[in-house]
Amino acid sequence: MADIDWTETGVRGRVTYDTFGCNVFDGSPPTPDRVNPNVLIKREVHTGHRMTMPDGRRVDFWSFRDPISTVAREREEPFPSPVIRVREGQIVHTHLKVRTNDHTIHHHGQEPTTMNDGVGHVSFEVKSEYTYQWKPTQAGTFFYHCHKNTVLHFELGMYGLLIVDPPSGPGRLFRNGPTYDTEAFWVADDVDPRWHDMEHDAGMCGEDVGLNIFEPKYFLISGAPAPTTLTDPRAMVRTTYGKRILIRLLNASYSVLRVTLPLNANCVSWDGRPLGRSGSPWSAPYDFQAGSSFELGTAQRCDLIIEPPPRGTYRAKLEFLHWITGEVQDNGRGVAETQIIVT
Amino acid sequence: MNRRQILKRGAGAAATAALVSELAPPSASAAAVTINLTIEPVDVEMIDGTIVYMLMYYGGPLGPNTPRPRLTITEGDTITIRVRNNAPEVHGFAITGIPTSRINAIAPGAQASCTFTAPIGGSYMYVDPVNEPVFRVVGLHGPLVVQPRNGTTPAGVATPYSRTSQTQQVRQIFNQLGASARFPGARWNSGRPERDIVWLFNQVDPRLNARVAAGETINGPMLKYDFVPRYFTINGLSGFDIHHENSIIPRGYVGQPTLIRVMNAGLAYHSPHIHGNHVIELTHANPDGSVRILENCYEIDVWQMPSMQRTDVLLPFEKPPDIVVWPPVEEPFPLRYVMHCHNELSQTAGGGNYPQGLVAHWELLGPYTPPNA
Repeated sequence: MADIDWTETGVRGRVTYDTFGCNVFDGSPPTPDRVNPNVLIKREVHTGHRMTMPDGRRVDFWSFRDPISTVAREREEPFPSPVIRVREGQIVHTHLKVRTNDHTIHHHGQEPTTMNDGVGHVSFEVKSEYTYQWKPTQAGTFFYHCHKNTVLHFELGMYGLLIVDPPSGPGRLFRNGPTYDTEAFWVADDVDPRWHDMEHDAGMCGEDVGLNIFEPKYFLISGAPAPTTLTDPRAMVRTTYGKRILIRLLNASYSVLRVTLPLNANCVSWDGRPLGRSGSPWSAPYDFQAGSSFELGTAQRCDLIIEPPPRGTYRAKLEFLHWITGEVQDNGRGVAETQIIVT
Repeated sequence: MNRRQILKRGAGAAATAALVSELAPPSASAAAVTINLTIEPVDVEMIDGTIVYMLMYYGGPLGPNTPRPRLTITEGDTITIRVRNNAPEVHGFAITGIPTSRINAIAPGAQASCTFTAPIGGSYMYVDPVNEPVFRVVGLHGPLVVQPRNGTTPAGVATPYSRTSQTQQVRQIFNQLGASARFPGARWNSGRPERDIVWLFNQVDPRLNARVAAGETINGPMLKYDFVPRYFTINGLSGFDIHHENSIIPRGYVGQPTLIRVMNAGLAYHSPHIHGNHVIELTHANPDGSVRILENCYEIDVWQMPSMQRTDVLLPFEKPPDIVVWPPVEEPFPLRYVMHCHNELSQTAGGGNYPQGLVAHWELLGPYTPPNA
C-alpha cells in the first residue's frame, strides 16, 4: 500500500479538477485486507468484437472476457460480458487484467470498500491488474461494468449480469424466497453506432465529442438485436407445461424501459433486495397483470416470478423511451419483442 | 441589464450555501410567516468555464443574496410569499402540490404575493409556472421543506412526516433506526441539518438560455423536442464542484441515518444510483403534486426520477454489507461511495468531460458513532 496516500481520497494525494476527470489516479495496487477467496473470477478487457447488425452494418463492441471459461465464446469475444455467478456468503475475488489504457470493474449493487468498488475518481483505475475483493450478503440480480469514462465504456458493452444465488444454489431466488424451474435473463440495451467508433478516453480532457447526445438505432435483449430477439435463444424463453419461470430483468440501456408482459407476474425483488425480506416489513411483493406496463430506469433490476402458464406462445414487449421526450426511440422503432413458449 | 454574477468553478462559492437547511423545532401553535424573494437574471459559470444566462429566485432565510434558497416552513402556519420580479419579462411563482401558493403573473419590476396554509410535512418544489417548463428549466426553481407540526410516530420517534399522513411502513422504518440489530446507532435526528439533505437536479441547454436572454418567445409544451442539455446539476453544481460541497455530500458514521430529498426540476428522466448502501424509498409526488408517503418502501440502489418527481430516500448509513474484513484494517476511513445518474449522458459536461456531471458521493467516517458525534 506504499504508493497510496489516504489522507484525502483513494490514492496519491488530493483530488483536483484534473485528477477528478481527465487524469484520474491509476495503478495496480495490492488488495487491502486481502484474504483467501472461496471463488476466483477472472476478467480481461476485450476491445475488438465486431458484430453484424440486422441491417448489415458492422458495429464494434468491447467487453470483459473470461480467460478460464469452458465456453469458447466467453473466452474469446463475448457480448454482453459473461455472467458472474456466485453464492451468498462466499468471499469472491474478481481479478481484472488490463493490457492497454485504464479500466475498472464496479460490481453494481454490491457494497464492498471504496478500493473494491471500482470508481476511479474516489479511488483509482486499474493500469495492469487488480483483484477486487467482496462478499455478497444477499442473493439477487446485480450486474458489473467498467466505471472508467462510464458513459462510453458501459455503452460499448463492458458489462455483464452478476447473479448471487442463495447458499442452496440456483433454483431458489433467495433464502426463504420463491423457487423456479426455468430462468431467463432479459438484459435490455440500445446502441448508437456513432459512439462505437470513439476512442476509450473520448471527451475526458475537455473535448466536445457529443456524449450528451444518444440516438440509438439498435435495440437488444441479452446481446440479440431486434427483431432477432423474437427467436434468439438468448432472449426467448422455452419451457414446458408446469414450470415456474423466473425472469431477471436489467435495463442496461440509456432509455427508460417500458415493459409489457403477456402473463401475470409477481415482482419479488428490486435491485437485489427481496421485497418483504426478513426484518424489512416495510416492503411487499406485488403483481403485474398481463398486458399492463411498468418502467425501469437505467440500471434498475427487477425479478419476476411467473406461475406455470398454460401451453402456448406469449409475446413480451420492451419499448425504449427517450429520456427527455418520453417517446419510443428512433421514431417509434425502439422496440424489442420476445416470446415465452410453453409446450 | 445588470446581471448578477455567479462564478463557481472549483470555488464552492455563494450559490452553494443556498441549500443548507435551517431547522428550528416547530412551535406548538400556528404562526404567520412572510418570505421575501426576488427574481434575478444571472450569469453562471458551468463546470467547464462556459458562462450561461439563467434566471433565479433569490432570498429566503439566509438573506437576499442567496440564490435558489431552501425554504423551510411548518405545517399549519400561514405563509405569505412576496416575490419581486427584477427580470425583463413576466414571471410567477407556484409550489407544486399547494394550489393556493400560486402567483400567475408578476410584471417586470413589480411585486406580488400569495398566502397559503402550509400543508403536511414533506418535500416540495417551487417553480415559475409561466410558460412551463421554459423558465423553470432556465433556473426558476428551488426546494421547499414543510416540517410536520407533529412528526413523531405513535411510539414517539421523529420522522419528517406528519403523524396523520404517516404510513405504517414509514413508521416501522423510523422506529427501527437506532433501536434494532440492523440499524444500530442513532435515530433520525430531525434537528441536525446534516441529516436532512436536498439534491435538486436540473439540466442546462445553453441554446435555450441564450434564446431566453435574447427575449425570444419559446413554445413551452414543445420544448422537450428541442432540448439538448449539456450540463447536469445537483443544487446548481456539477462534477468536481460538488466533490467538496458540504451541503450536498452526506457524511456520517455507521448509525447516522440521513434523509435525502431528491427533486428533478428539469426535463430529463434521471436514474440516480448510489454505491455503498441501498437507500429506502419513502415518498413520491402524486400527479397533483401533493406528497405521497409510500406504503411499499423498496430498498434500492437506483430510483426513478422523471421530470418533476420528488422522492425522499433514507440513506441508512449501514455498514456496507459486502465488505470482507470489517472494520477494514489496511484501508482507512472515510470510505467514499459515489451517487450518480446511471443514464450516463448526465455524467458529461459540454459533450464530454466525464464525470463532471450529475455525480456526488457520501462519506462513511467510521464503523460506529463516537459519543460526541
